[in-house]
Amino acid sequence: MKASILALAVAAAAATGAWADDAYPSKEIQGIIQWGAGGSTDTVMRAVTPHAAKALDGNIVMQNKTGGVGAIAMRYVQSQKADGYTLLMGAENPQMYKVLGLGTDDYSDMIPISVLARGVPIFVANNDAPYDNMAEFVEYAKANPGEVRVGSTGPGGLTSIVLAMLTSQADVEFTRVPFDGDGPALTALQGGALDVMPAVLGAAIEGVKAGRMKVIGLVDVEENPLLPGVEPITAALPGMSDYLPWGPFFGVFVKKGTPDPVVAELQAAYAEGAQNEDFRKLMADRGFTIMAIAGDEAMEFLDGYRSVSSWLVYDAGFAKKSPEEFGIARP
Amino acid sequence: MDALLAFLTVFTHPELLLLVGLGTFAGVYVGAIPGLSVTMAVSILISFTFSWDVLPAISLMIGIYMGGVYGGSRTAILLNIPGAPSAIATAMDGYPMAQRGEAGQAIGVTTVMSFFGGLIGIAVLALAAPAVSDFALSFQPRDYMLLAILGILLVGSLSTGSLVKGIFSGSLGLAIGAVGLDPLTFTERFTFGVPLLQGGISFIAVMIGMFGVSEALIQLQHVNSAAVRQKIDRIVPSWDTVKKHLPLSMQTSFIGVIIGALPGTGGDIAALMAYDHAKRVTKKPSRPFGKGAIEGLVAPETANNAAVGGAFIPMMTLGIPGDAVTAIMIGALFIHGLNPGPMLMVTQPDMFWVIVGALVTANAFMLLFGLTGIRLFTKIVELPRAVLIPLIMLLSIVGAYAVNNSVTDVYWMLGFGVFGYFMRHYGYPLGPVILGVILSRLLDDNWRRAIISDREDLGAFFHGILTSPLSLVLTVAVVLIFLSQTPLWRAAIGRLGQRRHRHAAG
Amino acid sequence: MKADFRGDADHHDGTSDATPGGYEDSRRPGEAGFAALLAIGSGVLLWTAHGISGFEALSGPGSVPMAVTAAMLVSALAILARTIRLPRVAGETLRRDVLPGVVIVMALALAGFGLLLVPLGFVPAAFLFLVPAIRFLSGRGWGFSLAVGTGSLAAIWLIFRIVFTVLLPSGILPEAELVQALRGLFSGGEQ
Repeated sequence: MKASILALAVAAAAATGAWADDAYPSKEIQGIIQWGAGGSTDTVMRAVTPHAAKALDGNIVMQNKTGGVGAIAMRYVQSQKADGYTLLMGAENPQMYKVLGLGTDDYSDMIPISVLARGVPIFVANNDAPYDNMAEFVEYAKANPGEVRVGSTGPGGLTSIVLAMLTSQADVEFTRVPFDGDGPALTALQGGALDVMPAVLGAAIEGVKAGRMKVIGLVDVEENPLLPGVEPITAALPGMSDYLPWGPFFGVFVKKGTPDPVVAELQAAYAEGAQNEDFRKLMADRGFTIMAIAGDEAMEFLDGYRSVSSWLVYDAGFAKKSPEEFGIARP
Repeated sequence: MDALLAFLTVFTHPELLLLVGLGTFAGVYVGAIPGLSVTMAVSILISFTFSWDVLPAISLMIGIYMGGVYGGSRTAILLNIPGAPSAIATAMDGYPMAQRGEAGQAIGVTTVMSFFGGLIGIAVLALAAPAVSDFALSFQPRDYMLLAILGILLVGSLSTGSLVKGIFSGSLGLAIGAVGLDPLTFTERFTFGVPLLQGGISFIAVMIGMFGVSEALIQLQHVNSAAVRQKIDRIVPSWDTVKKHLPLSMQTSFIGVIIGALPGTGGDIAALMAYDHAKRVTKKPSRPFGKGAIEGLVAPETANNAAVGGAFIPMMTLGIPGDAVTAIMIGALFIHGLNPGPMLMVTQPDMFWVIVGALVTANAFMLLFGLTGIRLFTKIVELPRAVLIPLIMLLSIVGAYAVNNSVTDVYWMLGFGVFGYFMRHYGYPLGPVILGVILSRLLDDNWRRAIISDREDLGAFFHGILTSPLSLVLTVAVVLIFLSQTPLWRAAIGRLGQRRHRHAAG
Repeated sequence: MKADFRGDADHHDGTSDATPGGYEDSRRPGEAGFAALLAIGSGVLLWTAHGISGFEALSGPGSVPMAVTAAMLVSALAILARTIRLPRVAGETLRRDVLPGVVIVMALALAGFGLLLVPLGFVPAAFLFLVPAIRFLSGRGWGFSLAVGTGSLAAIWLIFRIVFTVLLPSGILPEAELVQALRGLFSGGEQ
């Protein structure tokens, strides 16, 4: 069955270069982007999707549907038919919906088409800050509780989880100033309104290169080629290795119940799209690690992310519900 | 020398020139249709121009941006429906002119002044970008909060009828802006437990409802009266007119550049602030404000086009978007293999000058397309109302849906359309509602950031305001404008004037 | 305040904020009711705002909502107090001057359009709205309404759906297949 439909698709594509009635895709596919135009999810999706669409020999129209930390977009896709004509293009946020009480579904209620890439979190600091690495930073924060102003992007966001990791290892206290995204927070860091900000490498790298802020920690288990000489956080805080590697990710998903051949075709298309030279270069420049995984491998990664993050958030005391309620195992 | 060559790139490459022109032309129409926004057009262009080189892609986007910001004024003047939020102030004096049959003259002045404002914006971008971006970075959360308060005080000059009704409208707008999942803490606000409300209410939907649908409903009452014939023989304003408004347009252009350069504020706030400024400094307007004063067109239109150049300042120097459109352009540069950020000016200074060149070109095209084809546009107003009104309603629905592909926004838009209809009848101003929605997040988020940064200590908060020169200046401005609007102050001025009068008589 | 009032001399429906509707010294039919509704609504919103985070902290997510809804309530009460004291304007009725039949009909038509948008899809719903609306307002024949309505609907659909790829609700119409067929036709021709 699967093979015959695939063969049909290939034949149709080869024969006419257009469309065939009984092959997927026979019409436009909607891609629903969870975040706004110009954000990093938007950029990544708009960069990879045309390549995937080409591999699929179809047309994927992308739309931004924002709001509710991405829950609006997810709810929309889950309300459509499971026919593979509506894709959810999202980031890591849905994995926290259940424990934060933001939604009833997460990615385990969907089928991963491709987990495209993963980002590496780093700690950046204002240039005038009196610390240059994690050890000094922790020491300073201990000596001056509550004095360091750290940017935060809402409960369940990258900063809250990275800070939860840190506070599980060291008894430190910060003033957390809320921002709606790492872009505005990094701007505030350069203007002196913040002292330290945990952010994804790609968002901060250009500012770091220009000397407008400094890296004080790399939240990973090994060095990163973009940040030569910055030692991984596990050097100063070995306990962090329990959680790492950990990082925000981007992925494409469809509703559960989508026919297998359609899923297989989409997975193949995105796997091919992610191999594109331009896309790989773009991701490398931004410090993202390409994963392009699907199937069980993707499920395993997604479950791992959810388990680490949910329990961190729960233990840090800002989850609305216990991960146990949803059968999320402790890492 | 290299810079000059880069600057001239667009002029020396016919295909780039063509793309800028095409973009500007399309932009004027995109801007004129409420619901089609420049943000939308540019993000679609990202997928569309994906396989192109970076220069043609950026040229097209810049054209659309420049044309779109200007295009919003068209429908504001002709139909009393702003095509974009930055044209709300333009409708206040533009539409009364159209009602007198002077739409051609209004469009002419608007075009020339938009061109002028655009040029000032680009000039500041070209000559002082690093200094302006450093200044913009020095704005702390409390300064943004003060700026928002300054904006809210505009309610005073936007509501000509009853000030109390204006205050109500403004507060309503601020409350509308807070609906949904709070982006800082993810707390639900005014959602009444309804998941659909979590996404909040799009301010474009509110604007389309209040200005589009409510206007259409009002017009229904005069559905059979003949449309005003428009005189379009004198479109290009005389040199005297331009010269007379030069000082005002310089001031409002600078308001536009600064507001545009601040990340988080854009042409919409700039235009309203400029309108307020014009009302404040113009002693003898050509006609009373609200009855077709040229000054009421000059100020917002120079400011919103100057804000375009302003928005590019943090984008080009720091990789920080100045508004929603530049945010998408940054994404586009990434996709095309560039790394926008503070290093772009160092590693690829040419890119900066090419963009400045493209902006200048787009600005020139805007002048060209603005002053031609007016006849076609004025024909739209001369359409029978029985056709025009249903079409406006249809466009309002499509436009509200297109903002975020959400039917909820359509329902909000219709609700606010009917609500706005009653507000108009009973003398509640609509502008302050939109102003409130625009400023809501700016005020709320930055108040919380500021007070959290000072660890909930009001003493430290005020100490911070008094010790920072920038905050102090903003505070003084807030206090002065507030005083100048309170009845007490007016009474004092009035009494002073009377006394002087009596002295003169006696 | 009086000197500042610049109501429209001809009609009182508020062309723009600079020429507000209503009268300075009398109230229009329904104005007091509207003001009362606003005051009640503001009270409800203030109550809801208090429920967000109460008075827990200056930086709470409910602080600013509470302040603005309080401002709404105070101003709405002030407006109400002033409005009910004004004499009713002579010679205006709610049915004729504020809510004439044509406005009610069109508002209901819009509401119907909004409700049918999703189940029926954009194109059929818009067609059902546009053609009768033009016929009703213009008083001209069905032929005219059908031609103008269909023509402008086609233009709007092309601009939004094809040029700007806005995915309007497709409803009962197999829109995506149609678009694909259109595209296939064009790309087939080129290849």
